[in-house]
Amino acid sequence: MLDYVGLEADLGEEERLIRDTAREFVEERVRPDIGDHFEAGTFPTEIIPEMGEMGFYAPNLDGYGLPNVSETAYGLLMQELEACDSGLRSMASVQGALVMYPIHAFGSEAQKEEWLPALGRGEAVGCFGLTEPEHGSNPSAMETHAERDGDEYVLNGSKTWITNSPIADVAVVWAKDRSDGGAASASGDGTVRGFLVETDRDGVTTNEIHDKLSLRASITGEISLQNVRVPEENILPGVEGMKGPLSCLTQARFGIAWGAVGAARDCFETARAYATDREQFGGPIARFQLQQEKLAEMATDITTAQLLAHRLADLKERGDLRPQHVSMAKRNNVRTARDQSRIAREMLGGNGITTDYSPMRHMANMETVYTYEGTHDIHTLILGEDLTGIPAFE
Amino acid sequence: MKVLVTVKEVAEVGDDFAIEGTGIAESDLEYDLNEWDDYAVEAGVQLAEADVADEVVAVTIGPERSEETIRMALAKGADRAVRVWDDALTEEFLDVAGKVSLLEAVVAEEEPDLVLSGVQAADDSFGATGVALADRIGFEHAAVVNDLEVAADAGVANVHRELEGGVEELTEVDLPAVLTVQTGLNEPRYASLRGIRQAQRKEIAAKELSDLGLSAEEVASALTLTEMYEPESESDAEMIEGDAGEAAGRLAEVLREKGVGA
Repeated sequence: MLDYVGLEADLGEEERLIRDTAREFVEERVRPDIGDHFEAGTFPTEIIPEMGEMGFYAPNLDGYGLPNVSETAYGLLMQELEACDSGLRSMASVQGALVMYPIHAFGSEAQKEEWLPALGRGEAVGCFGLTEPEHGSNPSAMETHAERDGDEYVLNGSKTWITNSPIADVAVVWAKDRSDGGAASASGDGTVRGFLVETDRDGVTTNEIHDKLSLRASITGEISLQNVRVPEENILPGVEGMKGPLSCLTQARFGIAWGAVGAARDCFETARAYATDREQFGGPIARFQLQQEKLAEMATDITTAQLLAHRLADLKERGDLRPQHVSMAKRNNVRTARDQSRIAREMLGGNGITTDYSPMRHMANMETVYTYEGTHDIHTLILGEDLTGIPAFE
Repeated sequence: MKVLVTVKEVAEVGDDFAIEGTGIAESDLEYDLNEWDDYAVEAGVQLAEADVADEVVAVTIGPERSEETIRMALAKGADRAVRVWDDALTEEFLDVAGKVSLLEAVVAEEEPDLVLSGVQAADDSFGATGVALADRIGFEHAAVVNDLEVAADAGVANVHRELEGGVEELTEVDLPAVLTVQTGLNEPRYASLRGIRQAQRKEIAAKELSDLGLSAEEVASALTLTEMYEPESESDAEMIEGDAGEAAGRLAEVLREKGVGA
């Protein structure tokens, strides 16, 4: 496995064991059928509880039966999952970083007791509702809203591009609380709050989105909320405003920055193995300078991405990580995976367009990853603002 | 009931490797838990989960590096581990009798009711340690076990053994006993992240020869590794090419030459 500057030699024993067990699990339990799932547009749902048993959901959180591993160990796990498929890492990211994290960080004790152990074991599945049909890069303009009625809230609105919504038991829905007419909020149309919405409540529908050409081994859907009544205990008490969803996204993007390294590494290893094996003109194509240049470029870019990921984990561990750091890493690493998966496919020639090899599957997946959880361009503007003090998107 | 599981960190050789002296170059080796021992660990842990065993202790013979491998056994559920090593063991080849002497001393300290061991190690493949240990310590034994039920109260292990030609043998083995475990006995679990975390707090007791009351002479090997080489591969296979008619013609020709159908 590519680890050109020996970053993994400096891992602690526990981190190495976590990397190895994740790699073994993925290799034996998921990889053999992942191409078929991609082709069929299905997710291997039977592994959801198995991944729970392995402790793959929010393992960097503490308490409620969660293992509380280091941020580097968490990153390595995401790397190994995405080396198989972005859909697999997305499952763990959503469950862990977008559902369990906000419950852990902002939830009441009762909410934590009810959901964290079940979500951690993979007995319950969660999803995260922020994006709306008309509000993608600008989620603060969301239309989904809640109004208090006695000791209940009534929710209305629609969310889309929601990973796992069709199979979810609970949705973390971000909505504007207009109970006081929104007068108290800065925007005047209500303060953003998080709600735990069980998907079997009246008025909740979660249609699946079909016909995706990317991230096919992942279940994606909508959440429609029509006069959905939830008790007031279902509001996340610990956070108000966009800080709630955005802090979740920082957690998830940290995992993406690591995961992209895994996907790119898998493309590289596939291309390297192919090039040294495939013979043309009387010898392996890896002897040609054109192929060597591709491998050298790929290895350099992947190593750079890997360095960024490891540094990010160190900053996160000691509490110095800023969201802008994560933007830089997500932006760079996903771009690397997107570009290099295409080069890897190219090296595989015609064989590379089948599901027998991973690069084109990764390449297609990266189109999603490039624009989800903050598009590449929006992360560019976040960095631009951080570097100049001038926000370009306002 | 106490179960002792012998585990070994085995060296795996990559596709390309260099021979250095009587060994493989260190840089061409990767280390992993011996596959057969993985099944033995799982068998021990399942006995503990079924409340048949009170304690599962893993024992290994190996340098400090092997702690990572034995930690995997702890992560999968063994309660604690013993690691035997001594500078005196680095010099020479450690043969089966030497390993048995070391394990005999550990058995004397631990007093297990059941010893589980992989049938063989994937690297040196002697396939002898478990059975030789049983002989030395005077335990009953059964080799190549592929199904196991332990009736601790009755003091017996009911074992299936896989024999040649698809024959299975059912045996009752009195405890204490040494069983060597075949792959397929169970489905070894993956180490969970929780298990790996817990394993960090489990004891791996390091023992040297003197801790076990042994001297270097007592474990000295009667065997000497004299040479390691790659055998010349000879191949006189002929690939028959061409369409079905041509291939069949050439095949018939070859068979006739070899005297078939003459």
